Amino acid sequence: MPSALPDSRQVQVLMDAVQAAQTADDLTDAVEDLSACPHPMAIPCLIQVLGFNNPGAAVAAVDGLVAIGSAAVPAILAHLDEYNYGARAWSVRALAGIGDLRGLPLLERALAQDIGPSVRRAAARGMGGLQPHGFTAQQRQELAERILPQLKAACGDEEWIVRYAVAVGLESMEHWWQPPAAQRQRLLDILEPLADPQREAVPVVWLRARLALNRLAAPSPVTRA
Amino acid sequence: MEPSLGSFFLVFSMSQGTPLNEAQALDWLRQLEDPGQRYYAAWWLGRMRSHHPEAVPLLIQALAERGPRPDPASGIDEPNPIARNAARALGKLADSRATDPLLEALESSDDGLREAAARSLGQLGAIKARRPMLRRLAPGPLVAGAPRPGTSRLMEPCEALLEALGALGWQEEDGSTITDREPLLAVVRAYADHERPLIRSAACRSLLQLTQEDGWGEQLVHLLQHNELQVRRAALLDLGATGWRLAGAAIARTLAENSLKLIALRGLVENSPARNQASPSPSPEEVELLLAMDDLL
Repeated sequence: MPSALPDSRQVQVLMDAVQAAQTADDLTDAVEDLSACPHPMAIPCLIQVLGFNNPGAAVAAVDGLVAIGSAAVPAILAHLDEYNYGARAWSVRALAGIGDLRGLPLLERALAQDIGPSVRRAAARGMGGLQPHGFTAQQRQELAERILPQLKAACGDEEWIVRYAVAVGLESMEHWWQPPAAQRQRLLDILEPLADPQREAVPVVWLRARLALNRLAAPSPVTRA
Repeated sequence: MEPSLGSFFLVFSMSQGTPLNEAQALDWLRQLEDPGQRYYAAWWLGRMRSHHPEAVPLLIQALAERGPRPDPASGIDEPNPIARNAARALGKLADSRATDPLLEALESSDDGLREAAARSLGQLGAIKARRPMLRRLAPGPLVAGAPRPGTSRLMEPCEALLEALGALGWQEEDGSTITDREPLLAVVRAYADHERPLIRSAACRSLLQLTQEDGWGEQLVHLLQHNELQVRRAALLDLGATGWRLAGAAIARTLAENSLKLIALRGLVENSPARNQASPSPSPEEVELLLAMDDLL
Protein backbone atom coordinates (compact mmCIF):
# COMPACT_ATOMS: atom_id res chain seq x y z
CA MET A 1 0.00 0.00 0.00
CA PRO A 2 1.23 3.55 -0.72
CA SER A 3 2.41 5.50 2.28
CA ALA A 4 0.43 8.55 1.22
CA LEU A 5 -2.09 9.16 -1.53
CA PRO A 6 -0.60 10.96 -4.50
CA ASP A 7 -2.31 14.24 -5.11
CA SER A 8 -5.19 14.27 -7.52
CA ARG A 9 -3.68 16.71 -10.03
CA GLN A 10 -0.74 14.38 -10.44
CA VAL A 11 -3.12 11.43 -10.99
CA GLN A 12 -5.11 13.41 -13.52
CA VAL A 13 -1.95 14.13 -15.52
CA LEU A 14 -1.10 10.43 -15.53
CA MET A 15 -4.64 9.48 -16.64
CA ASP A 16 -4.47 12.03 -19.44
CA ALA A 17 -1.26 10.36 -20.58
CA VAL A 18 -3.07 7.01 -20.72
CA GLN A 19 -5.84 8.51 -22.84
CA ALA A 20 -3.32 10.20 -25.12
CA ALA A 21 -1.11 7.15 -25.73
CA GLN A 22 -0.76 6.48 -29.45
CA THR A 23 1.11 3.17 -29.52
CA ALA A 24 0.86 -0.06 -27.55
CA ASP A 25 4.21 0.61 -25.89
CA ASP A 26 3.28 4.17 -24.96
CA LEU A 27 0.06 2.86 -23.44
CA THR A 28 1.95 0.28 -21.39
CA ASP A 29 4.37 2.93 -20.14
CA ALA A 30 1.54 5.32 -19.28
CA VAL A 31 -0.44 2.66 -17.41
CA GLU A 32 2.67 1.59 -15.51
CA ASP A 33 3.18 5.20 -14.41
CA LEU A 34 -0.46 5.51 -13.37
CA SER A 35 -0.37 2.23 -11.48
CA ALA A 36 2.72 3.36 -9.61
CA CYS A 37 0.52 6.10 -8.07
CA PRO A 38 -2.41 3.99 -6.94
CA HIS A 39 -5.30 6.38 -6.30
CA PRO A 40 -9.04 5.59 -6.29
CA MET A 41 -9.51 8.28 -8.94
CA ALA A 42 -7.67 6.04 -11.40
CA ILE A 43 -10.04 3.08 -10.98
CA PRO A 44 -12.32 3.72 -14.01
CA CYS A 45 -9.32 4.41 -16.23
CA LEU A 46 -7.52 1.23 -15.13
CA ILE A 47 -10.66 -0.87 -15.61
CA GLN A 48 -11.05 0.51 -19.11
CA VAL A 49 -7.49 -0.58 -19.96
CA LEU A 50 -8.36 -4.20 -19.12
CA GLY A 51 -10.46 -4.31 -22.29
CA PHE A 52 -7.84 -2.95 -24.68
CA ASN A 53 -6.31 -6.28 -25.73
CA ASN A 54 -2.87 -4.96 -24.76
CA PRO A 55 -1.34 -7.53 -22.42
CA GLY A 56 1.49 -5.29 -21.20
CA ALA A 57 -0.90 -2.49 -20.31
CA ALA A 58 -3.38 -4.92 -18.76
CA VAL A 59 -0.72 -6.43 -16.49
CA ALA A 60 0.14 -2.92 -15.31
CA ALA A 61 -3.54 -2.03 -14.83
CA VAL A 62 -4.13 -5.15 -12.73
CA ASP A 63 -1.11 -4.21 -10.61
CA GLY A 64 -2.60 -0.76 -10.12
CA LEU A 65 -6.03 -2.11 -9.16
CA VAL A 66 -4.48 -4.60 -6.74
CA ALA A 67 -2.44 -1.77 -5.17
CA ILE A 68 -5.60 0.32 -4.77
CA GLY A 69 -7.17 -2.72 -3.15
CA SER A 70 -10.67 -3.02 -1.69
CA ALA A 71 -11.76 0.39 -2.92
CA ALA A 72 -11.59 -0.95 -6.48
CA VAL A 73 -13.77 -4.00 -5.89
CA PRO A 74 -17.27 -2.51 -6.40
CA ALA A 75 -16.24 -0.88 -9.68
CA ILE A 76 -14.58 -4.05 -10.99
CA LEU A 77 -17.71 -6.05 -10.18
CA ALA A 78 -19.94 -3.44 -11.81
CA HIS A 79 -17.95 -3.26 -15.03
CA LEU A 80 -17.40 -6.90 -15.79
CA ASP A 81 -17.28 -7.42 -19.56
CA GLU A 82 -19.58 -10.32 -20.42
CA TYR A 83 -18.49 -10.40 -24.05
CA ASN A 84 -14.71 -10.17 -23.82
CA TYR A 85 -13.13 -13.04 -21.95
CA GLY A 86 -9.69 -11.51 -22.16
CA ALA A 87 -10.96 -8.49 -20.25
CA ARG A 88 -12.91 -10.72 -17.88
CA ALA A 89 -9.79 -12.72 -17.10
CA TRP A 90 -7.94 -9.54 -16.17
CA SER A 91 -10.85 -8.44 -13.94
CA VAL A 92 -10.93 -11.79 -12.20
CA ARG A 93 -7.16 -11.59 -11.82
CA ALA A 94 -7.45 -8.18 -10.20
CA LEU A 95 -10.13 -9.47 -7.81
CA ALA A 96 -7.98 -12.50 -7.08
CA GLY A 97 -5.01 -10.26 -6.29
CA ILE A 98 -7.07 -8.05 -3.97
CA GLY A 99 -8.51 -11.03 -2.10
CA ASP A 100 -11.62 -9.12 -1.01
CA LEU A 101 -14.47 -11.41 0.00
CA ARG A 102 -16.99 -9.36 -1.99
CA GLY A 103 -15.37 -10.82 -5.07
CA LEU A 104 -15.90 -14.42 -3.98
CA PRO A 105 -19.29 -15.06 -5.63
CA LEU A 106 -17.84 -13.89 -8.92
CA LEU A 107 -14.74 -16.07 -8.52
CA GLU A 108 -16.96 -19.05 -7.76
CA ARG A 109 -19.11 -18.52 -10.79
CA ALA A 110 -16.03 -18.01 -12.96
CA LEU A 111 -14.34 -21.19 -11.79
CA ALA A 112 -17.42 -23.31 -12.33
CA GLN A 113 -18.79 -21.85 -15.53
CA ASP A 114 -16.52 -19.54 -17.47
CA ILE A 115 -15.57 -20.80 -20.95
CA GLY A 116 -12.17 -19.08 -20.80
CA PRO A 117 -9.45 -21.20 -19.15
CA SER A 118 -7.58 -18.00 -18.28
CA VAL A 119 -10.62 -16.83 -16.32
CA ARG A 120 -11.03 -20.15 -14.51
CA ARG A 121 -7.33 -20.29 -13.63
CA ALA A 122 -7.37 -16.78 -12.15
CA ALA A 123 -10.49 -17.68 -10.18
CA ALA A 124 -8.93 -20.84 -8.73
CA ARG A 125 -5.88 -18.94 -7.60
CA GLY A 126 -8.04 -16.15 -6.18
CA MET A 127 -10.28 -18.46 -4.18
CA GLY A 128 -7.21 -19.81 -2.44
CA GLY A 129 -5.75 -16.37 -1.86
CA LEU A 130 -8.63 -14.65 -0.09
CA GLN A 131 -7.82 -12.34 2.78
CA PRO A 132 -10.58 -12.76 5.36
CA HIS A 133 -9.40 -10.03 7.70
CA GLY A 134 -10.88 -10.13 11.15
CA PHE A 135 -12.50 -13.55 10.74
CA THR A 136 -12.77 -15.82 13.76
CA ALA A 137 -11.48 -19.39 13.55
CA GLN A 138 -15.08 -20.53 13.15
CA GLN A 139 -15.72 -18.13 10.27
CA ARG A 140 -12.52 -19.17 8.55
CA GLN A 141 -13.53 -22.80 8.90
CA GLU A 142 -16.92 -22.02 7.32
CA LEU A 143 -15.24 -20.21 4.48
CA ALA A 144 -12.93 -23.17 3.91
CA GLU A 145 -15.94 -25.51 3.91
CA ARG A 146 -17.46 -23.39 1.18
CA ILE A 147 -14.33 -23.23 -0.98
CA LEU A 148 -12.83 -26.70 -0.62
CA PRO A 149 -15.48 -28.65 -2.56
CA GLN A 150 -15.32 -26.14 -5.39
CA LEU A 151 -11.57 -26.42 -5.75
CA LYS A 152 -11.86 -30.18 -5.47
CA ALA A 153 -14.37 -30.23 -8.32
CA ALA A 154 -12.02 -28.08 -10.42
CA CYS A 155 -9.31 -30.76 -10.09
CA GLY A 156 -11.26 -32.38 -12.94
CA ASP A 157 -11.05 -29.35 -15.22
CA GLU A 158 -10.01 -30.33 -18.74
CA GLU A 159 -7.39 -27.58 -18.99
CA TRP A 160 -4.02 -28.24 -17.36
CA ILE A 161 -3.52 -24.63 -16.33
CA VAL A 162 -6.75 -24.64 -14.32
CA ARG A 163 -5.68 -27.80 -12.49
CA TYR A 164 -2.30 -26.15 -11.90
CA ALA A 165 -4.01 -23.09 -10.44
CA VAL A 166 -6.14 -25.33 -8.22
CA ALA A 167 -2.96 -26.80 -6.72
CA VAL A 168 -1.67 -23.29 -6.06
CA GLY A 169 -5.05 -22.22 -4.64
CA LEU A 170 -5.25 -25.21 -2.29
CA GLU A 171 -1.76 -24.55 -1.00
CA SER A 172 -2.45 -20.88 -0.35
CA MET A 173 -5.74 -21.61 1.49
CA GLU A 174 -3.58 -22.81 4.32
CA HIS A 175 -2.33 -19.28 5.01
CA TRP A 176 -5.70 -17.90 6.06
CA TRP A 177 -7.43 -21.11 7.08
CA GLN A 178 -4.70 -22.31 9.47
CA PRO A 179 -6.52 -25.61 9.77
CA PRO A 180 -6.16 -27.96 12.72
CA ALA A 181 -4.40 -31.24 11.88
CA ALA A 182 -7.50 -33.23 10.94
CA GLN A 183 -8.71 -30.50 8.59
CA ARG A 184 -5.26 -30.09 7.13
CA GLN A 185 -5.40 -33.71 6.03
CA ARG A 186 -8.41 -32.88 3.83
CA LEU A 187 -6.26 -30.38 1.97
CA LEU A 188 -3.56 -33.00 1.43
CA ASP A 189 -6.13 -35.58 0.32
CA ILE A 190 -7.45 -33.29 -2.40
CA LEU A 191 -3.92 -32.49 -3.62
CA GLU A 192 -2.76 -36.11 -3.65
CA PRO A 193 -4.37 -37.21 -6.97
CA LEU A 194 -3.08 -34.05 -8.70
CA ALA A 195 0.43 -34.93 -7.51
CA ASP A 196 0.25 -38.49 -8.83
CA PRO A 197 1.84 -39.03 -12.28
CA GLN A 198 -0.41 -42.07 -12.72
CA ARG A 199 -3.55 -39.95 -12.41
CA GLU A 200 -2.41 -36.54 -13.65
CA ALA A 201 -1.14 -36.54 -17.24
CA VAL A 202 0.66 -33.20 -17.29
CA PRO A 203 4.08 -33.20 -15.56
CA VAL A 204 4.08 -29.54 -14.61
CA VAL A 205 0.74 -30.03 -12.82
CA TRP A 206 1.86 -32.99 -10.73
CA LEU A 207 5.16 -31.28 -10.00
CA ARG A 208 3.32 -28.21 -8.71
CA ALA A 209 0.91 -30.29 -6.65
CA ARG A 210 3.87 -32.21 -5.21
CA LEU A 211 5.55 -28.93 -4.32
CA ALA A 212 2.36 -27.89 -2.51
CA LEU A 213 2.26 -31.16 -0.60
CA ASN A 214 5.94 -30.89 0.32
CA ARG A 215 5.49 -27.36 1.59
CA LEU A 216 2.30 -28.17 3.51
CA ALA A 217 4.08 -31.09 5.12
CA ALA A 218 7.02 -28.92 6.17
CA PRO A 219 7.10 -28.49 9.97
CA SER A 220 7.06 -24.70 9.91
CA PRO A 221 4.81 -22.67 7.60
CA VAL A 222 6.64 -21.62 4.47
CA THR A 223 6.28 -17.97 3.56
CA ARG A 224 5.83 -17.18 -0.09
CA ALA A 225 8.21 -14.72 -1.68
CA MET B 1 1.18 -21.81 -32.84
CA GLU B 2 -1.92 -23.79 -33.65
CA PRO B 3 -3.33 -22.78 -37.01
CA SER B 4 -6.35 -20.59 -36.66
CA LEU B 5 -9.56 -22.44 -37.26
CA GLY B 6 -11.68 -19.33 -37.31
CA SER B 7 -15.32 -19.67 -36.69
CA PHE B 8 -15.32 -23.42 -36.28
CA PHE B 9 -13.27 -23.09 -33.17
CA LEU B 10 -15.58 -20.41 -31.91
CA VAL B 11 -18.66 -22.48 -32.60
CA PHE B 12 -17.09 -25.38 -30.78
CA SER B 13 -16.10 -23.29 -27.79
CA MET B 14 -19.52 -21.76 -27.54
CA SER B 15 -21.29 -25.09 -27.61
CA GLN B 16 -19.10 -26.80 -25.05
CA GLY B 17 -22.14 -27.92 -23.14
CA THR B 18 -23.13 -30.23 -25.98
CA PRO B 19 -19.94 -31.28 -27.77
CA LEU B 20 -19.85 -33.54 -30.74
CA ASN B 21 -19.01 -37.05 -29.63
CA GLU B 22 -16.52 -39.47 -31.18
CA ALA B 23 -19.11 -41.65 -32.95
CA GLN B 24 -20.64 -38.57 -34.55
CA ALA B 25 -17.23 -37.22 -35.55
CA LEU B 26 -16.43 -40.53 -37.28
CA ASP B 27 -19.81 -40.47 -39.05
CA TRP B 28 -19.19 -36.93 -40.19
CA LEU B 29 -15.77 -37.86 -41.55
CA ARG B 30 -17.16 -40.99 -43.26
CA GLN B 31 -19.93 -39.19 -45.16
CA LEU B 32 -19.04 -37.37 -48.37
CA GLU B 33 -21.92 -34.94 -48.91
CA ASP B 34 -21.07 -32.18 -46.46
CA PRO B 35 -17.44 -30.98 -46.65
CA GLY B 36 -17.96 -28.66 -43.68
CA GLN B 37 -18.80 -31.64 -41.51
CA ARG B 38 -15.76 -33.54 -42.77
CA TYR B 39 -13.53 -30.55 -42.04
CA TYR B 40 -14.86 -30.14 -38.54
CA ALA B 41 -14.76 -33.88 -37.83
CA ALA B 42 -11.10 -34.12 -38.88
CA TRP B 43 -10.23 -31.29 -36.54
CA TRP B 44 -12.26 -32.80 -33.72
CA LEU B 45 -10.60 -36.22 -33.90
CA GLY B 46 -7.16 -34.62 -33.59
CA ARG B 47 -8.12 -32.17 -30.91
CA MET B 48 -9.70 -34.93 -28.79
CA ARG B 49 -6.79 -37.32 -29.42
CA SER B 50 -9.19 -40.00 -30.63
CA HIS B 51 -8.01 -43.57 -30.05
CA HIS B 52 -10.79 -45.10 -32.13
CA PRO B 53 -9.35 -47.70 -34.56
CA GLU B 54 -11.16 -46.08 -37.50
CA ALA B 55 -9.91 -42.57 -36.83
CA VAL B 56 -6.46 -42.87 -38.42
CA PRO B 57 -7.59 -44.77 -41.57
CA LEU B 58 -10.40 -42.27 -42.14
CA LEU B 59 -8.05 -39.33 -41.67
CA ILE B 60 -5.52 -40.86 -44.08
CA GLN B 61 -8.33 -41.12 -46.62
CA ALA B 62 -9.28 -37.50 -45.98
CA LEU B 63 -5.65 -36.47 -46.42
CA ALA B 64 -5.92 -37.42 -50.11
CA GLU B 65 -8.90 -35.15 -50.70
CA ARG B 66 -8.31 -32.10 -52.87
CA GLY B 67 -10.78 -29.34 -53.47
CA PRO B 68 -11.02 -25.61 -54.12
CA ARG B 69 -11.36 -23.05 -51.35
CA PRO B 70 -14.95 -23.38 -50.15
CA ASP B 71 -17.48 -20.59 -49.91
CA PRO B 72 -16.19 -18.24 -47.19
CA ALA B 73 -19.71 -18.19 -45.75
CA SER B 74 -19.04 -21.76 -44.60
CA GLY B 75 -16.55 -20.38 -42.10
CA ILE B 76 -13.63 -22.18 -43.78
CA ASP B 77 -10.99 -19.97 -45.30
CA GLU B 78 -8.32 -22.17 -46.87
CA PRO B 79 -7.90 -24.39 -49.93
CA ASN B 80 -7.84 -28.17 -49.49
CA PRO B 81 -9.31 -27.65 -46.04
CA ILE B 82 -10.19 -31.28 -45.34
CA ALA B 83 -6.74 -32.58 -46.29
CA ARG B 84 -5.06 -29.87 -44.23
CA ASN B 85 -7.12 -30.61 -41.15
CA ALA B 86 -6.55 -34.33 -41.62
CA ALA B 87 -2.80 -33.69 -41.80
CA ARG B 88 -2.94 -31.63 -38.59
CA ALA B 89 -5.00 -34.26 -36.81
CA LEU B 90 -2.67 -37.09 -37.82
CA GLY B 91 0.21 -35.29 -36.11
CA LYS B 92 -1.67 -35.49 -32.84
CA LEU B 93 -2.67 -39.14 -32.98
CA ALA B 94 0.83 -40.65 -32.73
CA ASP B 95 0.20 -43.46 -35.21
CA SER B 96 3.09 -44.33 -37.51
CA ARG B 97 0.70 -45.49 -40.27
CA ALA B 98 0.31 -41.78 -40.98
CA THR B 99 3.99 -41.29 -41.83
CA ASP B 100 3.99 -42.37 -45.49
CA PRO B 101 0.77 -40.56 -46.42
CA LEU B 102 2.12 -37.42 -44.74
CA LEU B 103 5.41 -37.77 -46.63
CA GLU B 104 3.32 -37.80 -49.80
CA ALA B 105 1.47 -34.68 -48.63
CA LEU B 106 4.86 -33.05 -48.09
CA GLU B 107 5.27 -33.18 -51.88
CA SER B 108 1.91 -31.50 -52.57
CA SER B 109 1.79 -28.36 -54.70
CA ASP B 110 -0.29 -26.76 -51.91
CA ASP B 111 2.24 -25.14 -49.58
CA GLY B 112 -0.34 -24.93 -46.80
CA LEU B 113 -0.77 -28.68 -46.94
CA ARG B 114 3.02 -29.11 -46.98
CA GLU B 115 3.15 -26.94 -43.89
CA ALA B 116 0.58 -29.03 -42.02
CA ALA B 117 2.33 -32.23 -43.10
CA ALA B 118 5.74 -30.95 -41.97
CA ARG B 119 4.44 -30.01 -38.53
CA SER B 120 2.77 -33.36 -38.10
CA LEU B 121 5.80 -35.32 -39.27
CA GLY B 122 7.82 -33.45 -36.66
CA GLN B 123 5.24 -34.27 -33.99
CA LEU B 124 5.30 -37.93 -35.00
CA GLY B 125 9.09 -37.96 -34.85
CA ALA B 126 9.13 -39.34 -38.39
CA ILE B 127 12.84 -39.70 -39.05
CA LYS B 128 12.14 -40.56 -42.69
CA ALA B 129 10.95 -36.98 -43.16
CA ARG B 130 14.33 -35.44 -42.35
CA ARG B 131 15.77 -35.84 -45.83
CA PRO B 132 12.80 -34.51 -47.84
CA MET B 133 12.37 -31.60 -45.45
CA LEU B 134 16.04 -30.73 -45.66
CA ARG B 135 15.79 -30.91 -49.45
CA ARG B 136 12.99 -28.29 -49.39
CA LEU B 137 15.04 -25.92 -47.23
CA ALA B 138 18.38 -26.48 -48.95
CA PRO B 139 17.91 -23.84 -51.69
CA GLY B 140 18.24 -21.31 -48.87
CA PRO B 141 16.46 -18.27 -47.47
CA LEU B 142 16.60 -16.33 -50.72
CA VAL B 143 14.90 -19.09 -52.72
CA ALA B 144 12.90 -21.43 -50.48
CA GLY B 145 12.51 -18.51 -48.08
CA ALA B 146 11.56 -15.94 -50.72
CA PRO B 147 8.10 -14.36 -50.57
CA ARG B 148 5.47 -16.13 -52.64
CA PRO B 149 4.26 -13.46 -55.07
CA GLY B 150 0.86 -12.04 -54.24
CA THR B 151 0.68 -13.64 -50.79
CA SER B 152 2.15 -13.13 -47.35
CA ARG B 153 3.57 -16.65 -47.44
CA LEU B 154 6.99 -17.93 -48.43
CA MET B 155 7.81 -20.34 -51.26
CA GLU B 156 8.27 -23.11 -48.71
CA PRO B 157 6.64 -23.40 -45.27
CA CYS B 158 10.04 -22.63 -43.72
CA GLU B 159 8.85 -22.14 -40.17
CA ALA B 160 7.21 -25.56 -40.02
CA LEU B 161 10.13 -27.28 -41.77
CA LEU B 162 12.73 -25.72 -39.48
CA GLU B 163 10.77 -26.59 -36.36
CA ALA B 164 10.24 -30.16 -37.50
CA LEU B 165 13.95 -30.64 -38.19
CA GLY B 166 14.72 -29.47 -34.68
CA ALA B 167 12.14 -31.85 -33.23
CA LEU B 168 13.57 -34.81 -35.14
CA GLY B 169 17.02 -34.41 -33.61
CA TRP B 170 19.88 -36.59 -34.75
CA GLN B 171 18.60 -40.12 -34.54
CA GLU B 172 18.68 -42.31 -37.66
CA GLU B 173 16.08 -44.89 -38.61
CA ASP B 174 18.40 -47.74 -37.59
CA GLY B 175 18.75 -46.26 -34.11
CA SER B 176 22.22 -44.84 -34.69
CA THR B 177 23.06 -41.15 -34.33
CA ILE B 178 24.14 -38.88 -37.17
CA THR B 179 27.79 -37.94 -36.77
CA ASP B 180 28.26 -35.71 -39.80
CA ARG B 181 26.06 -32.86 -38.61
CA GLU B 182 27.47 -29.89 -40.44
CA PRO B 183 25.51 -30.26 -43.70
CA LEU B 184 22.16 -30.10 -41.89
CA LEU B 185 23.28 -27.37 -39.49
CA ALA B 186 24.56 -25.25 -42.39
CA VAL B 187 21.14 -25.34 -44.06
CA VAL B 188 19.29 -24.43 -40.87
CA ARG B 189 21.81 -21.75 -39.83
CA ALA B 190 21.22 -19.85 -43.05
CA TYR B 191 17.65 -19.18 -41.89
CA ALA B 192 18.81 -17.62 -38.60
CA ASP B 193 19.44 -14.45 -40.65
CA HIS B 194 16.14 -14.52 -42.58
CA GLU B 195 14.52 -11.12 -42.97
CA ARG B 196 11.40 -12.28 -41.18
CA PRO B 197 11.74 -12.53 -37.39
CA LEU B 198 9.33 -15.47 -37.21
CA ILE B 199 11.63 -17.49 -39.45
CA ARG B 200 14.67 -16.44 -37.41
CA SER B 201 12.85 -17.57 -34.30
CA ALA B 202 12.06 -20.97 -35.80
CA ALA B 203 15.68 -21.38 -36.95
CA CYS B 204 17.07 -20.49 -33.51
CA ARG B 205 14.64 -22.90 -31.88
CA SER B 206 15.75 -25.66 -34.19
CA LEU B 207 19.45 -24.89 -33.75
CA LEU B 208 19.12 -24.73 -29.97
CA GLN B 209 17.49 -28.15 -29.99
CA LEU B 210 20.08 -29.58 -32.36
CA THR B 211 23.21 -28.09 -30.79
CA GLN B 212 22.27 -27.16 -27.19
CA GLU B 213 24.42 -24.05 -27.75
CA ASP B 214 23.33 -21.18 -25.48
CA GLY B 215 23.92 -18.58 -28.21
CA TRP B 216 20.73 -19.64 -30.01
CA GLY B 217 18.77 -19.35 -26.78
CA GLU B 218 20.15 -15.86 -26.30
CA GLN B 219 18.92 -14.89 -29.75
CA LEU B 220 15.45 -16.17 -28.88
CA VAL B 221 15.50 -14.17 -25.65
CA HIS B 222 16.42 -11.15 -27.72
CA LEU B 223 13.30 -11.73 -29.86
CA LEU B 224 11.17 -11.60 -26.69
CA GLN B 225 11.76 -7.84 -26.85
CA HIS B 226 10.73 -7.46 -30.48
CA ASN B 227 8.30 -4.63 -31.05
CA GLU B 228 5.67 -6.89 -32.67
CA LEU B 229 3.55 -8.91 -30.27
CA GLN B 230 3.28 -11.72 -32.83
CA VAL B 231 7.07 -12.16 -32.79
CA ARG B 232 7.25 -12.11 -29.01
CA ARG B 233 4.55 -14.77 -28.92
CA ALA B 234 6.41 -17.00 -31.36
CA ALA B 235 9.69 -16.64 -29.45
CA LEU B 236 7.88 -17.57 -26.23
CA LEU B 237 6.53 -20.76 -27.73
CA ASP B 238 9.85 -21.55 -29.38
CA LEU B 239 11.73 -21.20 -26.08
CA GLY B 240 9.12 -23.40 -24.42
CA ALA B 241 9.67 -26.08 -27.05
CA THR B 242 13.42 -26.09 -26.42
CA GLY B 243 13.18 -26.16 -22.63
CA TRP B 244 16.10 -23.72 -22.38
CA ARG B 245 15.81 -22.85 -18.70
CA LEU B 246 18.09 -19.83 -18.70
CA ALA B 247 15.18 -17.99 -20.37
CA GLY B 248 12.88 -18.28 -17.33
CA ALA B 249 13.21 -14.75 -15.99
CA ALA B 250 13.08 -13.18 -19.46
CA ILE B 251 9.89 -15.10 -20.26
CA ALA B 252 8.24 -13.93 -17.05
CA ARG B 253 9.04 -10.32 -17.99
CA THR B 254 7.91 -10.47 -21.63
CA LEU B 255 5.08 -8.20 -22.70
CA ALA B 256 2.62 -10.84 -23.84
CA GLU B 257 -0.41 -12.73 -22.58
CA ASN B 258 0.13 -14.61 -19.35
CA SER B 259 -1.41 -17.70 -20.97
CA LEU B 260 1.46 -17.89 -23.46
CA LYS B 261 4.09 -17.17 -20.85
CA LEU B 262 2.65 -20.00 -18.77
CA ILE B 263 2.86 -22.38 -21.73
CA ALA B 264 6.47 -21.32 -22.31
CA LEU B 265 7.44 -21.81 -18.66
CA ARG B 266 5.72 -25.18 -18.65
CA GLY B 267 7.94 -26.04 -21.61
CA LEU B 268 11.07 -25.05 -19.68
CA VAL B 269 10.06 -27.38 -16.87
CA GLU B 270 9.01 -30.31 -19.04
CA ASN B 271 11.22 -30.14 -22.13
CA SER B 272 14.59 -29.39 -20.58
CA PRO B 273 17.30 -32.04 -20.91
CA ALA B 274 17.90 -31.33 -17.18
CA ARG B 275 14.50 -32.75 -16.17
CA ASN B 276 14.93 -35.84 -14.04
CA GLN B 277 12.08 -38.02 -15.29
CA ALA B 278 12.33 -40.32 -12.29
CA SER B 279 11.84 -37.64 -9.66
CA PRO B 280 8.30 -37.02 -8.40
CA SER B 281 9.37 -33.72 -6.80
CA PRO B 282 10.64 -30.61 -8.58
CA SER B 283 14.35 -29.74 -8.38
CA PRO B 284 15.30 -26.35 -6.89
CA GLU B 285 15.66 -24.95 -10.41
CA GLU B 286 12.20 -26.26 -11.28
CA VAL B 287 10.72 -24.79 -8.09
CA GLU B 288 11.92 -21.40 -9.25
CA LEU B 289 10.15 -21.85 -12.59
CA LEU B 290 6.98 -23.03 -10.86
CA LEU B 291 6.94 -19.97 -8.61
CA ALA B 292 7.33 -17.76 -11.67
CA MET B 293 4.28 -19.53 -13.11
CA ASP B 294 2.32 -18.97 -9.89
CA ASP B 295 2.80 -15.24 -10.28
CA LEU B 296 1.25 -15.33 -13.75
CA LEU B 297 -1.97 -17.11 -12.82
